[in-house]
Amino acid sequence: MDRLLEKAKALNMPALAITDHNRLTGAIRFYEKAKVLGIKPIVGTEIDLEDGYHLTLLCKNMRGYTSLCRLLTEAHMTNKGKQPCVPKEVLGKFSAGLIALSGCSKGKLPTLIGKGKTEQAKKAACLYREIFGYNFFVELIRYPSRDGLSGSRGLAIFAKEEGIPVVATNNVHYAAMKEYKVKELLNAIDQNIPVSQLPGYRTVEQYLKSPKEMTRLFKDIPEAISMTEEVASRCNLELDIGKLHFPKFEVPQGETQHSYLSKLALAGASRKYGSVTPKIRNRLEKELETIKKLGFCGYFLAVWDIVRWAKKRGIRCQARGSAADSLVVYALDISTVDPIQYDLLFERFMHPLRREPPDIDLDIDRRRRDEVRDYIYQKYGAGNIACVGTINTYRARGAIRDAGKALQIPKEIIEEACKGIHYLSASQLLEYADSLPELKKNTVYKSPELKKFFELCVAIDGFPKHLSVHLGGLLIGDGRLSDLVPLEWSSGGDIISQYDKDDVEKLGLVKIDLLSLPTLTVIGNTLSNIKKNRGIDVDLDKIPKNDREAFAMLRDGKTIGIFQLESPAQREMAGRLLPNRFEDIIVSISLVRPGPLKSSMDKVYLPRRHGREPITYLHPKLQNALSETLGVILYQEQVLKVAHDLAGMSYAEADGFRRAMTHDRTEEEMEKMRDSFISCSRKNGVSRKIAEKVFEQLAAFAAYGFCKAHAVAYAVLAYQTLWLKGHYPAEFFAAVLSNQPMGYYPPRVLVADAKRFGVEILPPDINNSFDCYTVENGAIRVSLKQLKGVSEEALESILSARADGKFTSLRDFVPLTIFPLRFTNLGSCKSSSFLLSRESRAPTLTRFPSVG
Amino acid sequence: MSKLIGEPIKVHQNEDSMITAFIWRKRLYRVEEVLSWWREPSEWWRGKVMRLFVRVTAKNSSIGTYELYKLGEEWFLHRVFD
Repeated sequence: MDRLLEKAKALNMPALAITDHNRLTGAIRFYEKAKVLGIKPIVGTEIDLEDGYHLTLLCKNMRGYTSLCRLLTEAHMTNKGKQPCVPKEVLGKFSAGLIALSGCSKGKLPTLIGKGKTEQAKKAACLYREIFGYNFFVELIRYPSRDGLSGSRGLAIFAKEEGIPVVATNNVHYAAMKEYKVKELLNAIDQNIPVSQLPGYRTVEQYLKSPKEMTRLFKDIPEAISMTEEVASRCNLELDIGKLHFPKFEVPQGETQHSYLSKLALAGASRKYGSVTPKIRNRLEKELETIKKLGFCGYFLAVWDIVRWAKKRGIRCQARGSAADSLVVYALDISTVDPIQYDLLFERFMHPLRREPPDIDLDIDRRRRDEVRDYIYQKYGAGNIACVGTINTYRARGAIRDAGKALQIPKEIIEEACKGIHYLSASQLLEYADSLPELKKNTVYKSPELKKFFELCVAIDGFPKHLSVHLGGLLIGDGRLSDLVPLEWSSGGDIISQYDKDDVEKLGLVKIDLLSLPTLTVIGNTLSNIKKNRGIDVDLDKIPKNDREAFAMLRDGKTIGIFQLESPAQREMAGRLLPNRFEDIIVSISLVRPGPLKSSMDKVYLPRRHGREPITYLHPKLQNALSETLGVILYQEQVLKVAHDLAGMSYAEADGFRRAMTHDRTEEEMEKMRDSFISCSRKNGVSRKIAEKVFEQLAAFAAYGFCKAHAVAYAVLAYQTLWLKGHYPAEFFAAVLSNQPMGYYPPRVLVADAKRFGVEILPPDINNSFDCYTVENGAIRVSLKQLKGVSEEALESILSARADGKFTSLRDFVPLTIFPLRFTNLGSCKSSSFLLSRESRAPTLTRFPSVG
Repeated sequence: MSKLIGEPIKVHQNEDSMITAFIWRKRLYRVEEVLSWWREPSEWWRGKVMRLFVRVTAKNSSIGTYELYKLGEEWFLHRVFD
């Protein structure tokens, strides 16, 4: 897309149209990029009609854009699992604001004229004119060919006879002619065939032609060229990029969204803190003012409502990420993190200079996420909700595999080339072939015969592979979503937006991420187990924050099964950090990540933590920001504080500075940022030398900084699991085992650890086991699901039959249950789970008829 | 009827890149009319390159129809039509 736009700019083209097939996926980013280059973006699509022919549609205005979104949504929704297509009634229903062109060589008119079926072509033309009136044009696409300019003369004559204006178009698929190979390669990949077997007509002409080339091609029909300019002049779509489309949230009579939100936040703060001090009140008011100014009150209310609904039904859920920086979010009970206690900055989450909609992600109990989703569908209407699409693009490995298959490169070469490059983009392959150890030793990258192959892999880097579901992301519109976003089916049967999360954000739509977190399920299960077995209601909000037993376990590395803290790296860190307070868990979560470890932040922090090295600051002004981490930058919030305290930036500006540092920047841009930071720092009385050193530290940190609010939110969960494991190991392990797969270790490791904690493991028992691991007199009873071959149906029949009383023998077991025959082999029958009575095994087996 | 030739030629072009004449076997052929031109996609996966074809009527001692092609920077006479 960039190359096409750049070439259009270089050719001084005033406008360019994008017409993805049955989709608008590229439209938003195309629109924005074209505008930046001063090119008028014309948004359109090429659709499949019900009769199999193609038609090109272009938006004249916002009404046309809505028509197109609705039309495409209908085409996809009514053809689940099939190729989307548009019946003529739907075309008629959503034609307002659109211009229609007769399409490429697969259009109805070109096809019929090409076959000499003029009368049928007349009927089709009549129908299109009925629907689109003066906004219907015959599209002439000309390629040079052996027999002259292909395909269009007959069509041009037909159009003239029928009085339909003609336009000169070009079926553009690439910027420069030489890129036809890339297009053919992608076609072959798409059709899962070798390039040598590509069917049909091949051409090199689908490149963006200059006005001179187009004029020469149409020199006998100059009116086609001028009509093209006329069509472009009629298309003046202005997308309201940035205009917010928040879901409508009803508030009580007499209230505005802001006043209602304020009341809820204040009431929540009173509950949390007991009394609302001036500090808390000021902070709340400041946050609410920003939320109101940015027009986000409805969004906060919507999220509050969802969380409130979930918690009322005992569904554990909480915010993750930078949302936990907000006191309003905490007061509304959306997050579990007290931003005042942990000195978190609201500006890390939101500020007036950042106009994108906020992003509150919710972690939800894995078992019950669908209930929350169903509530949202019910509350806002199915027509107003969709999952967010995500565009999967080619990276190095995928490019090598798919291109290799299409070019019939031997499998062994593909496998060899794919070793150790899973993190690379395709465009980095040749760039790093001589420098990265993984690539240097690999001879395939040096083979001259494969040079062109790798160049093609580089050429398809970043190309979209397919559209799939963004995990957890749910779009909520402000009326009818398909007025603004075209929708389609994912392969898994979800309704998804054709735009990805960045593009929906640009359209001002609200996305809420509902993420399944198995740990919340484990915590919920553990608490249920404790209640059931011991009659105790544990309130995790009231457990002591610095339990000695819990921290002893942590220091000893006894953290298998513990959220965020169980990995070997975390356990190794615990041995060095020797955590003894909650804040150490926050540090550990932030520190044990590839970036900080590679930068040896632990080697700076840990000696200071243990008093082996002095705590020093490059400047006294840094003490406020960095004292909690002993002079070391660990959190993204600290970047804001440093920029504020040292360079005198406002927190909003400081967050802009932080974001700029974390995105890919050219050397020139980094230089500008450095100069600005140093200049501001000097005005604040800081020497150039110090300012330079601090900037270098910030620049190095930018790559791996962690959001403290997120670390705290996860530290809370980590600590809860630690405490539960320490005090109720049987209930905890039963919960973890019942929710596999999850975590770092397989079940056998968890079982071994449970035994180390003094928990006995009881084998599956036909009368005492359930469909999950349970606690029985302080021991863990293995679930019936662990028996190989037991289906859900069989399990249900066992539990259902057992409700009337325990089984006393195989005689009453077999007829009462649905049991897989293959299960009833001698091996299974001999397992102790089938020891139903004190009868010996042998008489039991010989007494009953064969069951398998 | 046509005959495949495949021999190198020297081509003269005007400022608009239109072929005005060519020399084949040391004889000059003046182009009367460019009948058609097209580019053929090559079997690039076998390392072959794209060719530009031009079909012209040209006069030497008599008028004939000739098909020329360009491969890289060189021109060749592809075919002669009776």
